[in-house]
Amino acid sequence: MATLTEAPPPLTPTAPEKKPPRKRGRLVPYWLLLPGILWLLVFFALPMIYQASTSVQTGSLEAGYKVTWHFATYWDALSEYYPQFLRSVLYAGSATILCLILGYPLAYLIAFRAGRWRNLIMILVIAPFFTSFLIRTLAWKTILADGGPVVGALNTLHVLDVTSWLGMTQGDRVLATPLAVVCGLTYNFLPFMVLPLYTSLERIDPRLHEAAGDLYAKPVTTFRKVTFPLSMPGVVSGTLLTFIPAAGDYVNADLLGSTDTRMVGNVIQTQFLRILDYPTAAALSFILMAAILVMVTVYIRRSGTEDLV
Amino acid sequence: MTTVTNKTDNTGDVRLSGISKTYDNGFTAVHPLDLTVPQGSFFALLGASGCGKTTTLRMIAGLEEPSSGTVHLGEQNVTALPPYKRPVNTVFQSYALFPHLDIFENVAFGLRRRGIKSVKKQVEDMLDLVQLGEQARKKPHQLSGGQQQRVAVARALINHPKVLLLDEPLGALDLKLRRQMQLELKRIQTEVGITFVHVTHDQEEAMTMADTVAVMNAGRVEQLGSPADLYENPRTTFVANFLGTSNFIEAEVDTKNGDDIVLKAGGGKLVLPEARCSAPTATGGKVLVGVRPEKISLTHADDAGDIPEGRNRITGRIADSSFIGVSTQYVVDSPVCPEFEVYAQNIDRDARLVPGTEVVLHWNPAHTFGLDAAQDIDAGIQEEAAV
Amino acid sequence: MTFVKWLKRNLVVIAGLLTLGYLLLPNVVVTVFSFNNPKGRFNYEWQQFSLDAWKDPCGVADMCGSLSVSLQIAFWATIGATVLGTMIAFALVRYRFRARGAVNSLIFLPMAMPEVVMAASLLTLFLNMGAQLGFWTILIAHIMFCLSFVVTAVKARVMSMDPRLEQAAQDLYAGPFQTFVRVTLPIAAPGIAAGAMLAFALSFDDFIITNFNAGSTVTFPMFVWGSAQRGTPVQINVIGTAMFVVAVLFVLASMVISNRRNKQKA
Repeated sequence: MATLTEAPPPLTPTAPEKKPPRKRGRLVPYWLLLPGILWLLVFFALPMIYQASTSVQTGSLEAGYKVTWHFATYWDALSEYYPQFLRSVLYAGSATILCLILGYPLAYLIAFRAGRWRNLIMILVIAPFFTSFLIRTLAWKTILADGGPVVGALNTLHVLDVTSWLGMTQGDRVLATPLAVVCGLTYNFLPFMVLPLYTSLERIDPRLHEAAGDLYAKPVTTFRKVTFPLSMPGVVSGTLLTFIPAAGDYVNADLLGSTDTRMVGNVIQTQFLRILDYPTAAALSFILMAAILVMVTVYIRRSGTEDLV
Repeated sequence: MTTVTNKTDNTGDVRLSGISKTYDNGFTAVHPLDLTVPQGSFFALLGASGCGKTTTLRMIAGLEEPSSGTVHLGEQNVTALPPYKRPVNTVFQSYALFPHLDIFENVAFGLRRRGIKSVKKQVEDMLDLVQLGEQARKKPHQLSGGQQQRVAVARALINHPKVLLLDEPLGALDLKLRRQMQLELKRIQTEVGITFVHVTHDQEEAMTMADTVAVMNAGRVEQLGSPADLYENPRTTFVANFLGTSNFIEAEVDTKNGDDIVLKAGGGKLVLPEARCSAPTATGGKVLVGVRPEKISLTHADDAGDIPEGRNRITGRIADSSFIGVSTQYVVDSPVCPEFEVYAQNIDRDARLVPGTEVVLHWNPAHTFGLDAAQDIDAGIQEEAAV
Repeated sequence: MTFVKWLKRNLVVIAGLLTLGYLLLPNVVVTVFSFNNPKGRFNYEWQQFSLDAWKDPCGVADMCGSLSVSLQIAFWATIGATVLGTMIAFALVRYRFRARGAVNSLIFLPMAMPEVVMAASLLTLFLNMGAQLGFWTILIAHIMFCLSFVVTAVKARVMSMDPRLEQAAQDLYAGPFQTFVRVTLPIAAPGIAAGAMLAFALSFDDFIITNFNAGSTVTFPMFVWGSAQRGTPVQINVIGTAMFVVAVLFVLASMVISNRRNKQKA
């Protein structure tokens, strides 16, 4: 007790009256924001403006380009490359739906059924990231190789007949067909679906399942009326995180597809890096960006979720 | 710092002069306020949530910058000092123990920040004082609520603050533990003799622990005084309702009789000592006559003649009664007050007092208090229920 | 009958494990083929077991050089993005300021933008500025697209942090700097670490943006891309396998350590 009743140790003597009133740095947030925001403005926002200007320039690589407000570039690009645009939407859309179908059970398993295996499964979902995705995508060349076990099995099960009727495959090949590209896209972006799904499923109180069961809901009804609606935020951000990068991807189409499976990403890449037709490439990438922003906005509005990631 | 001899030591005084807080959005949490908390006292700021009591406390701590006014600790003006230069410490609501440090390091935190090297002995003594010597190497989340609370107190007290500020320190504990910790805190305060400023919404807690209570409402101090004074002689309906329960009768000043005022209410007359009336007492003026439920006696109408002279009396009919062990609580329907509450000690129970019975309510005029009738009769009721 | 019942009850588990298998199959293939001794230039068909590639992982021209370039860029990009992102996250959570909505959009947009769009527009900027493409342009681009992810990760952690902890530190004589070092930073550390790890992984594995802005510099993903056209050396699989194993071991080890620490204290 003695320690407590002792005289308090002297604090640094101060004469606050003489000091000017303390400024509680109102500028602090701006200093904190400044470097990062500047970085994004210069290397993200400004390039968008440059690109917009490039898209309405004309000229040639040798003579240089000038802004001539040549909006026809947009029209030309769209009319020439609309199949690639359609393919991008189609492939990315299919991959997104496949990711949702495949990813939901896995996210559900981790959230509710994995028990003490939960952490291990989580690691296994994330760990492949550490092997370069290009290497893993190349592995699909081996897996889907002509005459390999996978193609053989699909052939025996007549799956290939169905996909070929759908125009997804040709003959008994999978490689270099749309199916291979969609399969690669699905594989590459699956974790981006599983992780947000898991996050929103994990927040659901398991007692809600019991409560639904108690109130005469069959397991399927419980899922339809309770679990799935509550996981909507995860579904929304998962589909966006899958669809957006998939729509702009050109690696899968290049490595697993053929010249008939080229997506808009491939066109932009070729125009920019090989043909060096900058205006067309800029216009294409602007159209892609606008299309995605519009789709995303509409999608978010309709699904009624404002918080995204 | 000049050394002052102990008797006139006032370094632990807290003096607030004209202090107020208005936020950027225009909301005024605290209206200009003058308050002096004498050295060594246990002072409680009592009020419903949002009444400005926590803001006041945080201005003393330096965590909130006052919009006007000054804060003095003893002779020192600390208004412009940041919290880490003020000789006060705080026990935070839900404790704010550092989750990444163990109990020992939590308690040692303040000493280390002031550059004190050998903290071991002091921290161990302090942990022994709060009976947590065994838990020194545990992390906060491994302790129970009551233990965490004691760590929070130890972490603040080890710095020998001139003033200890407690922000709803018992809010997160269950009822039984609260009672226990109330006594414990009171004991510690008596032992260390430091000024305690305690913020709470629990009127019972404030009355049990504090020497002086300031009841706050909507950014203003409604009344300040000892718990008994506040209870027996409330000066506003808010205080009367927030601390315990009160019955109110609307009455009109009739005549004055020495030190007493005679009032008309319904058909009858009531007597109120003038000293206990905070309302203007001109003849014809309206006054709210208040009386606490436990001061009232209940007599069957048939025995009305046995009631001694000189007591205030009104008639009514029992609407409801509930037996709660030490007492029986009656609700009486009276022409002057629709729901008159009466708590009768269960000493000699009159078996005839059942709902529907006509009764006479009577009490000693000295237990009556008078309030300005221009106030809301129900002020302070919902607020307490809402907490 | 009981089997049908069991199947019904565990259908979701089976489906989930099948998806997990789908996710892991390529890694199995990569690992197996790191022991292959391919006939031609491409390592797509199994020939025979061999340890050659494991014995000489840097035996391919330029591969280990590109790996080192990638590691250096990832290292600096992680530091840059983590510092800038953490600052933004603190400003967003802890302060009120004008143009908050605009700042939030600017953080969000890079995550909602296809990589190829960012890559192309950034290249336009660099070309217009006449910048020399190479290490520095890659680094700039990587910091740019990692930044938003760091902000998101750190923000989540700082938001869940009780502001009273910092006030308690101030109340206990810690000045602003001490408060930040002793309380804020240690408590925000898991979020910052998560953001940094994410940034490292994103930067190390990035191909699309890098490919546009690299000039003649070759990162590891670019080397793999190039070899997919010219011929895939087995050493690529060795690196891929090694990184996978190291990552899993690293995570497992940190889990075991934190488990043991918790048990000791309890």
